[in-house]
Amino acid sequence: MFQRVIIGFLLFTTCRGYAQSQKFADTLFGSSEPLVVTSTRVAGKLSNVAVPVTLVSAKQIQQTGLLRLQDVLQEQTGLAVVNAPLASSLNGYPNPFGQGIQMMGLDPAYTLILLDGEPLVGRNAGIVNLGRLAIGNIQQLEIVKGPSSCLYGSEAMAGVINIITQKPLGNRLDVQAYGASRNTTSATLSFSHQQRSTGIQAFLHQYSSGGYDLDPTTFGKTVDPYQITNANFKWVQDVSAKSQLTFSFRLNQQNQQNRYQIQSQATPEIVSGKSTEQDATAFFQWRYHLPGAAKLYIRSFINTYENSAYVNLEKTGARFDELNFKQQLIKQEAQLQIPKVLFGQMVAGAGFMVDAVTATRYQGNPSLNTWYAFAQQEWKIPAYHVTVIAGARIDERQDFRAKLSPRLAIAWKPDDHWKIAASIGGGFKAPDFRHLYLNYNNPQIGYSLLGAQTLPQELLRLQQAGLLQNGAQIAPYLTPASLLPEYGMGIHGSAAYRSAGWQASLGLFYNEIHQLIDFYSLPFSRSNGLPVYSYHNVGRIYTRGLEADVQIAISPRLKCSVGYQYLEAKDKDVIAAIDAQKIYRRDPQTFVTELVKQQDYQGLPNRSKHTAQVKIGYEQTAAGFYANLRAIYRSPYGWMDINGNQIMDDPKEMTSGFTLLNFTTAKSITKNTSIQLGIENILNYTQSVQQPQLPGRTFFVSLQCSLSNTNNKK
Amino acid sequence: MKKNLFAAMILTLFVLVVSCKKDATVAVVPAVSATQTISVPFSSATNFRFFSFKDSTLVTSADSTTTKWDFAVRFTKFLVNSNASGPGNAGVIMQDGIFSDIKSAPTSGYSYDTTATRLAIKDGSWYDYNAVTRTLTPKAGKVFIFRTADGLRYAKMQLLSVDYAPFVGMTPTTLLYKFQYTYQPNGSTSFQ
Repeated sequence: MFQRVIIGFLLFTTCRGYAQSQKFADTLFGSSEPLVVTSTRVAGKLSNVAVPVTLVSAKQIQQTGLLRLQDVLQEQTGLAVVNAPLASSLNGYPNPFGQGIQMMGLDPAYTLILLDGEPLVGRNAGIVNLGRLAIGNIQQLEIVKGPSSCLYGSEAMAGVINIITQKPLGNRLDVQAYGASRNTTSATLSFSHQQRSTGIQAFLHQYSSGGYDLDPTTFGKTVDPYQITNANFKWVQDVSAKSQLTFSFRLNQQNQQNRYQIQSQATPEIVSGKSTEQDATAFFQWRYHLPGAAKLYIRSFINTYENSAYVNLEKTGARFDELNFKQQLIKQEAQLQIPKVLFGQMVAGAGFMVDAVTATRYQGNPSLNTWYAFAQQEWKIPAYHVTVIAGARIDERQDFRAKLSPRLAIAWKPDDHWKIAASIGGGFKAPDFRHLYLNYNNPQIGYSLLGAQTLPQELLRLQQAGLLQNGAQIAPYLTPASLLPEYGMGIHGSAAYRSAGWQASLGLFYNEIHQLIDFYSLPFSRSNGLPVYSYHNVGRIYTRGLEADVQIAISPRLKCSVGYQYLEAKDKDVIAAIDAQKIYRRDPQTFVTELVKQQDYQGLPNRSKHTAQVKIGYEQTAAGFYANLRAIYRSPYGWMDINGNQIMDDPKEMTSGFTLLNFTTAKSITKNTSIQLGIENILNYTQSVQQPQLPGRTFFVSLQCSLSNTNNKK
Repeated sequence: MKKNLFAAMILTLFVLVVSCKKDATVAVVPAVSATQTISVPFSSATNFRFFSFKDSTLVTSADSTTTKWDFAVRFTKFLVNSNASGPGNAGVIMQDGIFSDIKSAPTSGYSYDTTATRLAIKDGSWYDYNAVTRTLTPKAGKVFIFRTADGLRYAKMQLLSVDYAPFVGMTPTTLLYKFQYTYQPNGSTSFQ
């Protein structure tokens, strides 16, 4: 379905080179404007889409020289890279969760990450480790903001990031070698072959980092040495004029050599071991052209995600801890796309998913089955320059009643300059495996964290084994409590103006989520005095804000862009409690206690009120030269309660903000080769606890060679 | 003479009563306010530390079976001198509010240590633990109103901070509980 997507031009890019050589599958508009697919599941012209969507082209990514997806994403307006709150509690232990993307102030767990339209499986503490994705074969990134559950179901409440990889295109060979500070090396090989009705695309990527240490006072490195290997293979076969098959396989493997200090029976000891993350995907699609330019897609998707780790005591070699987590997702889907029906264009589909987990920390081999169906209709009313999209999706999983996720979007383009758009949608997030089935008794500290389904029998077991405190009243917890899906809604409105040489847009958003799933401690403890935790539905939050983008071509060669987001993200229950005069604070120096006022409440932790991205780029196409400087700013964000109320209401509870400054330049050496140099994090900002993923100032050099023979093209 | 004696007695009595009355007004001891820091073992396996409002100090463990203490603390667990924890008649009410705004103690509604596992002050109800910094922070605005172990007097108390005493190695040994309290020794409920 992404068959012939045109590469975009947003910023430093103009449509040229091989991008131009593509044909238009959807030639309704016949312009060279980029097409996006994530927002509606049908390729549509970017400027026509009624739902807020940002497109990042391969060229934009390539010209930054960045190799990690999270680094690319944090250069986009309104996206911030955040760590799981849990990760920061590890105090020097390697962070097994990776980083995720916070969108419109909502946690990474609410943003669905798709790779070529299919979900990435394997979330640790709600976060998909973006490190497992290579950047070298990305054709474009599509970022859809606002509830997208109407097309993609659970997890898409904040939005969707769709990573679209290259399609077989002509005969082409790309090789890249990369070296950077701290023993970082990378090599990429990309091969594309197209002959008549057969297209093949192969991609190999190897990345290796020596790790780094941001805090010499604690034993071990902040990030231990690791290696990533990626292999992709895609085969597109036109069976007939009407029928096309796509096979695609992807393998990702990450290894990390861990070595850190633990406390074993009151004496510190060194442990070392290895953690491995493996992700394998097979995808099949059959596309069939039906009469009336309708298209039918049949898709099968299998993903296996495995995460395992062990550490041994270095002194004795004895196994200290190990864990294993394996998740398998099988998805079967059919999608029908009818360009002319009911006065508009329709896309509809249905599917079935089986999601299963086997893990050391989970009881049994739980599996969850989901049925879903969706339909969306898009009407274009040329007389009024209006596009209307209405759609809904229904999801039913075995453990909760069917959830309906509707969406309505309207765009009005009165002339070539203006576009006014508004959308409203509802979405949900299903309780995940850990909320339902986790069975974890912390070996070092001694607490228990039990999923809602696991709770009754595990409490009985603990009590029988004498591991609960005497007289613990477990009776009220012996019927499995059903966890309900979180649900919410989002509204987005925007106005954009484009003119020769510049464009600007302003958007407003509001999101709200109810029935949040959070952990709580039971009213009795284990026999060791430590708490037993489980999950329940509690709380409601909202986020609202403004985002602005301005792009200016100062001259044909010099371009500049500014992106800005203002954000408020607050807990509605906290607001109500402040109104009811129930929240106090105690100054940690003077010990004076007072009631918290509404204006003191800063909102949810780890949200910056202001984030901004400024980019300046210079490009001399004929000479094969470009240079760009990009700045990313995050204002202070709430970090830790210090005044006894667990909310962020004092400037001392905020960390300082930070700025990252990145520079990249490149020059072609011959017709086919070029050299790229750059410095990431020029200001050398590091923060070992809150931002362990930032390694400090990094110099890199990269050599690229591209060979293409476009004569054989179809 | 007899009459005079009687009159003298009346007069004396009157003087006594008057002076007593006068004395009483003068002798109304204002409630005692203080801030204290006590050392408490960072361990659930050692003895509790027993505190007396009347003596405004810790009493020895040997006195744990007497009514000489009002509340006790070990690690993060509090006892009040009642039922399962001691022979006293102490009780506690945990009330949200500003310490200085609480001008008097209620006369009823106190909780006791009913059994060893159903304590008046539930462990975890008065603090938040931060796993990152490994700090215990008493919840702001939680005031403990005590009836003392003799069952006759009242005190209000709030925790100000719980810190680790300096330690070597990885495990703290001692918690420093800093708290302020106001004790009314005369048996009235007033904290003025």
